[in-house]
Amino acid sequence: MEWIVLLISAVLLPIFPLSLIFNRLVATAPGPWGRALALLVLPQLGILLLYHTGPFLPLPVLGQRIWLMMVLFTAVFYAFRAVSAREISIWSRLSASSGLALTWFLVASGSAMHFTELFALAWSVPAALLMIWAGLLSQRMGGAYLGLRGGLATELPRLSGLITISALALVATPIFPGFFAMLQVFHLLSLSWLWPLLLLLMIWGWSIGKFLQDLLFGIYQGEPLTDIGSTVTSVGAGVLFLFALFGLVWSGLWIGN
Amino acid sequence: MDTLAIVIPFVPVLSAAIIFLFLRNRKGAAARLSVLATLLTFLLSLSLLGDYITSQVARVEWIGQIWGSIWLDPLALIMWTFVSGISLLVHMYSVRYMIEEPNYPRFFALLDLMTATIFFMVSAADLITLLVAWFLVGVFLYFLLGHDTDRSASGRYAFWTQITYRFGDLPLWLAAFILFKAYHSLSLPVIFAQVAAAPNAVQLWGMPVPAWVGILIAISAFARSAQFLLHGWLPYTMDGPTPVSALMHAGIVNAGGFLFNRFAPIFEYTSLALHIAFVVGLITAVLGSALMLIQNDIKRSLGYSTMGQMGFMVMECGLGAFPLAVFHLIAHGFFKASLFLGAGNAIGEARTEDGVPPDPVYVSVVERRPNKPSRLPLITAAALTILVPVLVLSLSHFFVASHLFFEQGVIILLFFAWVTGAQALFAAHKMTHSNPWQVMGGILGSFVLVVIGYTLISHYFGSFLYPEHGASERLFASASIGVLSYDVLVIILALLFVGGWALTFFADARDWGQHLSEKWHGTYVALYALLTRELYLNDFYVRMTQVLFAASRRLNVWFRWS
Repeated sequence: MEWIVLLISAVLLPIFPLSLIFNRLVATAPGPWGRALALLVLPQLGILLLYHTGPFLPLPVLGQRIWLMMVLFTAVFYAFRAVSAREISIWSRLSASSGLALTWFLVASGSAMHFTELFALAWSVPAALLMIWAGLLSQRMGGAYLGLRGGLATELPRLSGLITISALALVATPIFPGFFAMLQVFHLLSLSWLWPLLLLLMIWGWSIGKFLQDLLFGIYQGEPLTDIGSTVTSVGAGVLFLFALFGLVWSGLWIGN
Repeated sequence: MDTLAIVIPFVPVLSAAIIFLFLRNRKGAAARLSVLATLLTFLLSLSLLGDYITSQVARVEWIGQIWGSIWLDPLALIMWTFVSGISLLVHMYSVRYMIEEPNYPRFFALLDLMTATIFFMVSAADLITLLVAWFLVGVFLYFLLGHDTDRSASGRYAFWTQITYRFGDLPLWLAAFILFKAYHSLSLPVIFAQVAAAPNAVQLWGMPVPAWVGILIAISAFARSAQFLLHGWLPYTMDGPTPVSALMHAGIVNAGGFLFNRFAPIFEYTSLALHIAFVVGLITAVLGSALMLIQNDIKRSLGYSTMGQMGFMVMECGLGAFPLAVFHLIAHGFFKASLFLGAGNAIGEARTEDGVPPDPVYVSVVERRPNKPSRLPLITAAALTILVPVLVLSLSHFFVASHLFFEQGVIILLFFAWVTGAQALFAAHKMTHSNPWQVMGGILGSFVLVVIGYTLISHYFGSFLYPEHGASERLFASASIGVLSYDVLVIILALLFVGGWALTFFADARDWGQHLSEKWHGTYVALYALLTRELYLNDFYVRMTQVLFAASRRLNVWFRWS
């Protein structure tokens, strides 16, 4: 039973190769709101399963080490793959898989359940927001591919602004919760385990650089587009502001935990 | 004063917030508010610096409970005043310069956020605040450099800067966690006190913790200050708006020198990192100057000049002259800001009038035409060139800071100062003039004034920055090497410089130019090509990126994007 729970959890809190199923589940969810919901709910279900079925990992010590090494591999692997993704929902799905995999370190360290849930939300929320923004972009352009028709900063300043900030939040930029979540992972691991995490931060830096370059820069060449309205912009900006504020407020507790 | 210190960094944040929320479509009001906020920040920083000068008490103020602390020590207060001063100049210049640009209010809001972030960075008293601010500087700089989103090139070069900065963030991140795990505190003053109490008490992977941390901090500083192998982005930041170039070259790029000084209590107990800094700084200084000489674009030339200056600043740290590096970065910041902000005017004027006077100084120094032999007797000129700088430098330094006179770092710095002084006198000697004694006398007078002024200012500045007794001695001692290695180094450097001068002199005087150019033509062309392609480093990085990008795409195809 424990093994089944573990495998299901590895699908919901993605670990390679079961992460392929997680990604397929998110990708096939109906519409942008469905994908956003999947990103928010599936990892929380995984955490719920793990915390309500007994101790973490029915594995010997060596097995646990290998499991956690797979977690690091998953994080780096998906971050690396996100570098070449030019479709916003794919980019956010791959980047979210990269960040969500790290949740296993909190589970393994025996962190309180609500800390683990918040940790997962640090990656799920910006990824879910990106799914919604990708949907709005698709409505206007017929797809959310970046870099095909030039930069969108001039043509869709509001939408591209929201996409930019959400993407930054997803790759652990301060002052968003992802940054403090990464600090927590660094805090949990011993120094010799930190090198893959540094590599992960480097790849995220590269990934966001490519993403923003394709999103923002160049002269737009296509049909004239209508930007999102001020209400949607205000709501989006408000959610991102609260998200950042939440990160700042909780950062002290995470770091001190 | 306690509340004031906490309020100061938030003044520009408030200005940015008001611009983003209420003044997005009001250009004039946004610019006025931003300039006023920066002026207020500058004045408040100045008043805090004045308060410290009278009280001489450094303190730490806390905004949060675990992180978010501000260290009001001489280094932070000097940097606050410097940064807000440069930022004020850039703000005022941008009011008219950027008026035709789109997103004018956003530009000022980003300038404000950048100013605030640098404030937090230079005054951070805990590791988390430092990391947050260090990261955010790279983020805001990306958007400032990429302000003109219509140009793909500005995005590309902003990305180069961002990725190099990210590379430099990682060693700092690791250093922070090594310190935290070794000393169980996030507070920098607490960590430094523990290191001072028992420098080698905590070992990691076979070396004391300060040694690891020193190396990691140095690498982080190298990336931020465009040191050799991590310098490729710097000249290309010129694609950003001119005010951003000024802010970048006058302020942000100096962060490496600041970081060395902030972690000076660590460097007091580790030599290896300082030796690495000396070598890297020296290579960067030479290479930056060489690359500057072959540029035909004024802004690109200034960019490489910054690289050379940064190399020299890091080299000063490598020699243990930490306060001198801060003095250098401030002096360099102000003169480079004025050069950048004046570059546009210089280009405009040059279109109508080249402004080059028919002057022997120009002909000799800039056009490098063959010169007639000097009218000063050769022996007199050689004696003046070699001996006068030695005497002036040695005496001035001996009278001002005799206790540091025999430190290796000081001697090396004096040696470089001698080289610079002798080079100036040598150039004067090469000029033809109706009264060569008048020329030489004028240059000698200027030289004496500059050396005495610089020595006095740098010494008192150093005492202000490091009031703790013995800190300078410990840094110089940490930077020193074995006597034999040191002697060999000095001899090699002296031979290189004197040999170079002799070659230049005799090539001109005995007309070896033709012979040499024929014999070394191939080497010269190869070297020139290497420099014009910037040592192929950027080409290499771009190629490496392309290969990795293709691998990422292939993986995605294999796994069907799941």
